[in-house]
Amino acid sequence: MDPTKKRRVSRLFIVVIAAILVEIISIAQYERVKSAMEEEMGVRARVVLGAMGAEVGHMMELTEATMRENMWKVQQDLEHPDSAFISLVYLVDDNPHVIGGFLTFVPDYYPSKGRLFEPYVKKSDGVITLSQFAGQDHDYTQNEFFKRALDSRRPFWSEPYVDAADSSETLITYAAPVLDGKGRIAAICGLDMDVSWLGDTLNARQPFPSSFGLLLTDDGALVAGPPESRTSRADLEAALEEIRHGEGQNDGKEISYRSYQMVRAPYWQVVQVYRTQEVYARIWKMRRQQVLLVLLGLAILAFMIERFARSEAKLREASAEQARMSGELTVARRIQQEMLPKTFPSFVYGSLEPAREVGGDIFDFYTRDGKLFFCIGDVAGKGAASAMLMSVAHSLFRMVTRTEEDPARILSVLNGELCRGNDSNMFVTFFVGCLDQYSGELDYATAGHEKPFVLAEDVTLLPAKPNLPLGVFPDTHFEGQNCTLSPGTTLFLYTDGLTESKNVDRKPFGRDRVEAVLKSFMKSTDQSPATLASVLSKAAHNFAGKAPQSDDLTMLVIRFAPEAILRDQITLVNDIKEVSRLNEFVKAFCGKLDIVPKTMAALRLALEESVVNVINYAYPSGYKGSVDILAESDRKQLRFTITDSGTPFDPTTVLEADTTLEAEDRPIGGLGVLLTRKMMDSISYSRRHGQNVLLLTKYL
Amino acid sequence: MMTTSIQELDGKLVATLSGELDTAAARETEQALQPLLDSMGKPVIIDCTSLEYISSSGLRILLGILKQSKASGSSVVLRNVNDVIREVLELTGFVSLFEFE
Repeated sequence: MDPTKKRRVSRLFIVVIAAILVEIISIAQYERVKSAMEEEMGVRARVVLGAMGAEVGHMMELTEATMRENMWKVQQDLEHPDSAFISLVYLVDDNPHVIGGFLTFVPDYYPSKGRLFEPYVKKSDGVITLSQFAGQDHDYTQNEFFKRALDSRRPFWSEPYVDAADSSETLITYAAPVLDGKGRIAAICGLDMDVSWLGDTLNARQPFPSSFGLLLTDDGALVAGPPESRTSRADLEAALEEIRHGEGQNDGKEISYRSYQMVRAPYWQVVQVYRTQEVYARIWKMRRQQVLLVLLGLAILAFMIERFARSEAKLREASAEQARMSGELTVARRIQQEMLPKTFPSFVYGSLEPAREVGGDIFDFYTRDGKLFFCIGDVAGKGAASAMLMSVAHSLFRMVTRTEEDPARILSVLNGELCRGNDSNMFVTFFVGCLDQYSGELDYATAGHEKPFVLAEDVTLLPAKPNLPLGVFPDTHFEGQNCTLSPGTTLFLYTDGLTESKNVDRKPFGRDRVEAVLKSFMKSTDQSPATLASVLSKAAHNFAGKAPQSDDLTMLVIRFAPEAILRDQITLVNDIKEVSRLNEFVKAFCGKLDIVPKTMAALRLALEESVVNVINYAYPSGYKGSVDILAESDRKQLRFTITDSGTPFDPTTVLEADTTLEAEDRPIGGLGVLLTRKMMDSISYSRRHGQNVLLLTKYL
Repeated sequence: MMTTSIQELDGKLVATLSGELDTAAARETEQALQPLLDSMGKPVIIDCTSLEYISSSGLRILLGILKQSKASGSSVVLRNVNDVIREVLELTGFVSLFEFE
C-alpha cells in the first residue's frame, strides 16, 4: 500500500477508535445516569415508605390499643347479646381509622340468637349502622379467619381483603379473642380498617405520568394500589403478574419496578412501578443527542486530523528536506575537507578549523618545477552553496596552475569561470602566490583577499593591489605583483575567520592582535610554520573564550628557507656551435652533484634538444640572440631554467612525433620535444617579463 | 669530439661513429656520411661501438640514411649500440625501424 493511503487509513482508524471510546463513555454515562435516576427513585420510594410505614404503624398501634383498652367492656357486655352492639359502637367510634367492627360468637353462645350470631357495626362518613351478618349464606365458622382466631387465642392482623359489600375498599382486620369469665373464648372481636387511602397517598405524587405505587403484603397480595383513574386494571394486573413472577428489577421488559420492604410488621412492601420506555426515554433522548454531538465532534476532529496530517506531512517533508540539506552540508564539508592538503612539507603548513555551519574557506598548495603554488580563499557566505563554489574555485586553481604560473592570469581564469552561472551573486576573495623555492622570487595576486603578513626583519603586510574579488565582474582585470623573499622569510596568510573571531562581548580578534602574536612569535626559536599556525589558533581561541566560532578559521603559513642550493648559469648565443658549451656546462654541473652517467646523458639530451630549439627558432634568421640556462639543485631535484627573449613559443604544446610510423613516413621534427619530455620529470613553459621561460625538472 | 669513417667490406658499407653525436657535430657528421646515401643497394652497417651520445639531430641523420637505403632496396644495421643510445632509440620508436647486431 502506498504510504499516503496507509497514513490515511491509520488516521481513519484513530477516528474510529475515538468514536468507539466516546460511545463506551456515553454508554457508561448513560448507565450512571440511569442508576442515579433509579437511586433517586429509590430514595423517593424510601421516603414515601418511611412516612407510610410510620403512619400505618401508628394506625395499627392505635387499633391494637383500642382493642386492648376496650376489651374489658366487650367482656362485660357478653352478658346480654344486644349489648354487643354497644361495645362495638364504642370500639368503632373510638378510632377514626376503624370503619367497622364485628363480634363473631362461637356457635350457640346465645341460644336466643340461634346457632350463629355476628353483630356488625359500620361507620361511614360518621354515620354508624348496625347489622347482624350471620345467616344461612354466611357461616363464619367455616371462615379460615375465624378458625385461626380460635386456634391461636391471640390477637392478629388479617391479610388485606376486598370488602364484600364495597369492592372498592380494601380492608384489613385486627382480630382478638374475647374470653368469658371462665376464660373460654366466647367470640372473636374484629376491627376493620380501610387501607385503600394508602394507595391514594402512594400515588399522589408520582414522578412519571404512567408510574404508580403499590402496597403489597409480603406474599404479594395487593393492599393498596393506584386509583383506577390513574392506572387501568389491566395494567395493574400486568404489573402484579410481573412482580409475582419476576425477581427484583426487571427493566428488560416493558415494566420496571422496585420494591422496598417495610420495616415494621406486617411486612408489607411498597412497590414502585414505572414504564421502562417512559423513564429512560429522557435519558435515551439525551444520549441520542449526545451521540449526535459526539459524531459531529468526531467529524470535526477527523477533519482537523486530516488538516493536521496534511500540514504535518508538509512538515515532515520539510524536515526530510532539512535532513537532506544537512546531509548535503555534511557532504559539502567533507568535499571541502577532502580537498585540503593533508600532509605538509616542513616549509608549509595550513589549517582550516570549520565553523559549525559549513563555510567556504579553502587553502591549497602544491609544488611543481621548484615552484610552490599556493592559494587561500574565502567565499562570502556560508552553507552548501558557498562550499560548492569554493570547491569549484579550488578545482580550477589546481587545474589552471598545472599550465599557468602567473597568479594574475590564474585569477583571471578563475574569475571567468566563477562569473559564469553565478546567479546567486556570491563572490570569493582569493589570494594566489607562486614562490620560486630556489630564488625566493614570489609572484602573487590577490582578488580582494586580506594582505598576507610577511615575517622578515619585522612583521609587515605584503603590499598588494586590491583587485576585485572573484565572481563579481567577468571582465575584471587582475594585476599581479612580485618580490623576492630573502631566506628565512615567512608568509602568513589567513581568512577573516581569524581576525573576526569574536569574544563573548562581540569584539573581534583583529589584525593588531594577529600582528602582536606574530611579532612575539618571531622571537621564539621554533620558526616552523606548523608552530606558528598553532600559536595563532590558540591565541584566537583564548580570545574568543566561550563565544561560538562563527566562521571558518583558516591559515596558511609558508616559510622560505631554502636548503643549500647549488647553482650555475651560462649564456649562449644563438649558434649551433654553442651546443658543445652547453654540453660541457651540463656535464660540469652534473659532476658536482655526482649524477650517474645514464641520468647525465638524459639531462644532456633534454637540455640540448630544448636549447637547440631556441637557437634554431627563437630568433629571426641573422638576428643575434641569446639564451640563458640556469641550473639549480638542492640535491633532491635539479632544475634547469632556459630563458630567451625570442618569439613567444611554448614548446610544451608541440605535438610529439609519432613513434609508431614506418621510416618512410617519419617526419624530421618532433623528436626533440618527445625526448625532452621523456628524459625529464617535469617540463613547463611560461612567458615572463617578455621572455620565454622553460623549466626542466628532474628528481634525483 | 666526433669522428666518422666509412669502409666497404664484403660488399657492405660500414660506417664507424665515435664520440658524441650532438647537434653541434651533426652537420659535419651528416656530410661525412654522405657516401652512405649513394649506397646503390649495398647493405649499410653503422658501427656504434664508440658512439657515446646521440641527440635528435643524430637520429635525423640515421633516419635519412635509412630512408635512402630502403628506397634502394637495402637495409641498415646498427652494431653494438650502448644502453644510453638504445634507450633513446627505444623512446623514439627507432628500434623498430633498424636492425641490430
